Amino acid sequence: MDDAQKIGGIDKRWVYILVAVGALIPILMPMGLPVKTTPAVEQLFDRMESFEPGQVVMVSFDYGPSSAPELDPMADAVLRHCFVKGLRVVVISLFPLGGDNQAKQALYKVAEEFPVVEGEDYVYLGYKDGGLAVLRRMAEDISIVFPKDTRGVEYSEIPLLQDVWNYSDIEISVSLSTGIIGEWWAILVNAQFGQPVGVGATAVSAPKYYAYLKAGQMVGLMGGMKGGAEYEVLLGNAYPELKSRSNVAIKGMDVQSIVHLIIIAFILMGNLVYLFSRSERKRAGGRLGSQ
Amino acid sequence: MKRQVPIVLCFLTGAFVVVAFFIGHPLVVDLNEKLDELLIIVTAFALVLGVVSFAQHHTKKIQRKQKDWRNSIVSLTSLGLMAFLGLFESMLKSGAVIGDRPAFDWLFTYAFTPLQATMFSLLAFMIASAAFRAFRIKNVEAAVLMIAAVIVMLGRVPIGQYILPHSLEISEWIMNNPNLAAQRGILIGAALGAASMAIRVILGIERPYMGGAGD
Amino acid sequence: MALSSFAGIWLAAFLTLAIYSFLYKDNPVYRLAESIFVGVSLGYEIGLVFYRTIWPNLVERLLADPGPNWYLAIGGILGIMLYCRYIPKVSFLGRWALAVYIGYFVGVELMQRLHGDVLPQVRDTMLPLSSLSSVTFENLLIIVGVLSVLIYFYFSKPHTGILKPVSRIGVYFIMICFGASFGYTIMARISLLIGRLTFLVEGWVKPMIALISGSG
Repeated sequence: MDDAQKIGGIDKRWVYILVAVGALIPILMPMGLPVKTTPAVEQLFDRMESFEPGQVVMVSFDYGPSSAPELDPMADAVLRHCFVKGLRVVVISLFPLGGDNQAKQALYKVAEEFPVVEGEDYVYLGYKDGGLAVLRRMAEDISIVFPKDTRGVEYSEIPLLQDVWNYSDIEISVSLSTGIIGEWWAILVNAQFGQPVGVGATAVSAPKYYAYLKAGQMVGLMGGMKGGAEYEVLLGNAYPELKSRSNVAIKGMDVQSIVHLIIIAFILMGNLVYLFSRSERKRAGGRLGSQ
Repeated sequence: MKRQVPIVLCFLTGAFVVVAFFIGHPLVVDLNEKLDELLIIVTAFALVLGVVSFAQHHTKKIQRKQKDWRNSIVSLTSLGLMAFLGLFESMLKSGAVIGDRPAFDWLFTYAFTPLQATMFSLLAFMIASAAFRAFRIKNVEAAVLMIAAVIVMLGRVPIGQYILPHSLEISEWIMNNPNLAAQRGILIGAALGAASMAIRVILGIERPYMGGAGD
Repeated sequence: MALSSFAGIWLAAFLTLAIYSFLYKDNPVYRLAESIFVGVSLGYEIGLVFYRTIWPNLVERLLADPGPNWYLAIGGILGIMLYCRYIPKVSFLGRWALAVYIGYFVGVELMQRLHGDVLPQVRDTMLPLSSLSSVTFENLLIIVGVLSVLIYFYFSKPHTGILKPVSRIGVYFIMICFGASFGYTIMARISLLIGRLTFLVEGWVKPMIALISGSG
């Protein structure tokens, strides 16, 4: 076995250790690298910024713990943006594996930071099964799908919802989604019912969603942790008092930087090893051929 | 009869949804809305359908003391505990079905969340290992893929601009042009494929609901 | 720190490390955590489905006003019928309910894919090429990309003649798209790792050090 093959056959646990150490260092010693914003996120932020106090925003928690590190910062930033602007927030969840608790945790944590009242400034209607069926039915009457909020208060008795009956009473719906749910909002809620839709998607889904963004089916798009970090930057610039709170994804981008470099190095190293061993084999083959 | 009924039911339901899309008559709209409400309920039942198979499988494993049968006890106990708290905790506490579930929430925060999140985070290590071992430039297509990947990877992280100037702008251009074009092509193709498959199911040519019984 | 939080943090840390132990090699502690994971996930679903959907959308509405809401019972009956598949004598009833369920969703899928995917995407590909500018170049790139990718996935005709070079162009677009997706996937996976490591450092080690040193 030549040196190149030895490097190529390195125990994968060394790779794991390098990744873990590369991720841990920036967590322990943040670097504060600057995050630049992109139009996809700016469009969403600007649309949210254009609303007047009292207007209604729907935020749908369509993810669970499996993608929370990516989507939690977006959720926090969007909710903070709504509360700081005095927008009324209707929160729902469509993701079965943890979306309900994820929404509850994020909403009540952020709500505590502002002088807002449940039922008047925000309401959590809970998780609902059915996905597409829920989205279709809400076009006509949200109260049929969510007869009560999670405290058990009847829809018709919640002050915030007195003038909110379907999508036409909501300025924008923001889905923080994993998997296919973000797509549903674009191809059903936007395409069929004309509701402006903003999406915060996992990085795995984001490349596909650029097609929806360009076609105007999404107002804006936050893709993965970078998207969340961009929203945090925009929020911090517009409302400096929120800067110290809304920075989880910005900090995460330090780690992303280091681990991305490590993985790029792995790709390059793997290919160098491959090219080197291939030329070695060719040379050896040539020697054998000439003997 | 047993085989024809599901085909007819599937056709009627599917065809109605399609027809209702184009018809604004109050009767059709009303029926369509009622159908949505019914399916919200049916989906709820369907979501826990796998629990029965899961319980059967693990009970058999325990009875026969098959490999890892002790873990099956753990699985069933976790399932039972979580389900019990979800179903009854609020009722036992306050007499209401909709209400606080502190123990259920505690288990979500300290067991469900770390387990699910960590399980998925293993992929970070796997993908790094795969990048080292399997991402080989063996032809021009692979080279194009790798160049796009590296540019996008650099463009998405703050440090990228120090290593490759304008990496953010270049990666944005890639995302908004060639990536978008390919995604759109795939999207249109997949949507047409899904639509044609839907027509086949509605017409009873494909019968996924038969589970092999009526094919 | 409350006792429940303290115990919870230690449990979460143990379960996190138990799953990570798989990276060294498969082991009983990992399999134990895996078993808990499967059980807890399914158990979570059962509770959630009951108190978020079945109770408020079916039971409560039927009990409150059975007259106008009678039709909801059909949903409940169909839902229960799904479980007939486990009883051999009446397993055919399960197929009936499943047929309604599948019929509805393929109907919705059919319309949404055509109306929500194909039409807007095709409409947005009809881009102007009338001026000589960078925008026109990008528009042309998108049009060529979309068409060539569609042709690449068109298998009803062999890729010979003019289709061959066009589908080759499609391959390059797809490769760029896959490369971009790979880059994004890396970011997604690392994000999850960041979440867990941040918990271990900020949520477990640091509070415990603070507790031991007396400042917690």
